[in-house]
Amino acid sequence: MASRDVVHYDSPAQRLLRVLSVIFVVFYLIWTLLPFGVMFVSSFKELLDAFKLPAIGDWAGIGVFFDFTPTFKHYNTLFSENNFGRYMLNSLIAAGGSAVISVIFGSLAAYALSRVDFRGKSDLFFWIISTRMAPVVAVMVPLFAIFRSLGLVGTLPGLILAYTTFNLPFAIWILKGFFDNVPYGIEEAQMVDGATRFQAFRSILPLVAPGIGAFIVLCVLFAWNDFLFAAIIGSGGAKTLPVATRELVQPQNIQWGAIMAAGVVTTAPMMLLGLVIRKYLVTGLTMGAVKE
Amino acid sequence: MATVTIKNVWKYYGKTPAVKDLSITCPDGSFVSILGPSGCGKSSTMRMLAGLEHISAGDVMFDDMRINDLAPKDRDVAMVFENYALYPHKTVFENIANPLRLRKMPEATIKDRVLGAAKVLEIEHLLDRRPQELSGGQKQRVAIGRAIVREPKLFLFDEPIAHLDAKLRAHMRGEIKHLQKTLGTTMIYVTHDQLEALSMADYIAVMHDGELQQWGTPSEIYNKPVNAWVAGFVGEPAMNFLSIDIQSRDDDVTLIHPNFEIPLLPRQVAFLNGAANGGKARMGVRPDALSIGMQKPVEPSITGEIFVNELLGGDMLVEVKLKDCRIRVKTSTDFEGRPGETCYMTVNRDKWHMFDAGDGHAYF
Repeated sequence: MASRDVVHYDSPAQRLLRVLSVIFVVFYLIWTLLPFGVMFVSSFKELLDAFKLPAIGDWAGIGVFFDFTPTFKHYNTLFSENNFGRYMLNSLIAAGGSAVISVIFGSLAAYALSRVDFRGKSDLFFWIISTRMAPVVAVMVPLFAIFRSLGLVGTLPGLILAYTTFNLPFAIWILKGFFDNVPYGIEEAQMVDGATRFQAFRSILPLVAPGIGAFIVLCVLFAWNDFLFAAIIGSGGAKTLPVATRELVQPQNIQWGAIMAAGVVTTAPMMLLGLVIRKYLVTGLTMGAVKE
Repeated sequence: MATVTIKNVWKYYGKTPAVKDLSITCPDGSFVSILGPSGCGKSSTMRMLAGLEHISAGDVMFDDMRINDLAPKDRDVAMVFENYALYPHKTVFENIANPLRLRKMPEATIKDRVLGAAKVLEIEHLLDRRPQELSGGQKQRVAIGRAIVREPKLFLFDEPIAHLDAKLRAHMRGEIKHLQKTLGTTMIYVTHDQLEALSMADYIAVMHDGELQQWGTPSEIYNKPVNAWVAGFVGEPAMNFLSIDIQSRDDDVTLIHPNFEIPLLPRQVAFLNGAANGGKARMGVRPDALSIGMQKPVEPSITGEIFVNELLGGDMLVEVKLKDCRIRVKTSTDFEGRPGETCYMTVNRDKWHMFDAGDGHAYF
């Protein structure tokens, strides 16, 4: 059996390029990860410790960064005084609610667009995605006016609806591609076996699960990290984590410790979600289903 | 079990007719094969029977019940698809159990029936696997298992063994025929392979361009084709066709070709009805109705030049060049002619066919 290694012959220039690219990646990692590191460490420091810095050029003084007694003070403040438990729940409900609604309607619409031919289908399909082409800010004012007259401003249902408006077209586009890859023969076999059209649709959902998983992650990320909708539509009654964090910056007093802790509370769940779902996303199920 | 009656059925895709005025009656418990080349409307017919396509015009009856407007699930048919269409995320057991689960049968019955079907198909050891872990022949058996497990009124098999290799195909032909006879359920089997149809079916419906060409038993289709198209489609190696002139001389009617002049048998003259007298016709003769030799025989013969010899294992196929065409003759392997040599062929006149030169309908 032949070796499966990719055979490689480097010229000196290519070797140099390889070294340079490693250096670039190292700097890039420092650039992207250091802020998270600082945030994480600072959230466990007293305010005075957090701002202790070595003199410029004093590389030996770097130990100052780690010279502190860990404290959960800031986390206590967040959850006892600042009501962050509530805001976290709001974020969770808004992100999860819009993800669930978008998946339900999105998969139904995507299935229809994938399986049924009708006049104006391509126009409709384009029109669906075109709602994502305008910048969010551009539609914010009219959207706010509509939401206010419907009494949805400052409520969780309002926020869920706002996120769904933006996530649904996305869901339809992603899921249609996945449905297109499922052979129609499987549903036909189901229907001959005795299934209704809807049961046949449900039976192929496991085959588009990777698509649904990918979409849920993207949808939750969008809603969880969103600031604009949360600040304007959700302001007041449906405050989410980013908005609540922003409010820790007060004119007289920037609560750095609490802000750092809030940052950790906001980012950690999304990172965990990414880790948990990663394996699931790359699992393909349709392989070998049908002889082509 | 059911008698399936297809009455004046049409299928249109847009304005293109795919099935034209098809009428067939499949007797209860029979094995019917719909035979034709791709695009002849055979699959459309099957999908209309299954309810996967609307019937544009005409009626389909199962016994006395008109099923045109019933959903697939209400027709009580089981279908085996050309691409098997197994459920990739389910085990073999769950694939076979699926139709029973959809009918909400009790768990014990499901288990009994699935194990029973698996036993018949010899796939008991595969029940825990998923379709992607199976070979083509195994997938095919699972697909058949899913069809037989629920004891339907009608089986629809859509070229189920077309993708298997030749040896397995030959084996499955026997298995499917045996299965159908054992279960006694009416079966409609679509295929483009004339050998499958001839070897398995009780009745064959030959279709071409959306139209039914001929309905009959395999031996009727093979021995008494109604037109030149059916004659050419059924049989391997294919029938030889020669353009000939017909002339009456004294009491005889003789076929004239640049390479030969052979009289018709007296009883065959009547079939011509005088229609082709003095005109043109097409003569059809299967390679095994010709005998070839290197010596000129006493009886009227066809003179030609050997073009090529093909050894088919137990037989030899000799391609012979005539003045205006080439014909193929089946002979034994000890035939000694070499390409380029002159040879002589005699026709078994009981087994030749005469077709109209225009529309190709058979005189006999």
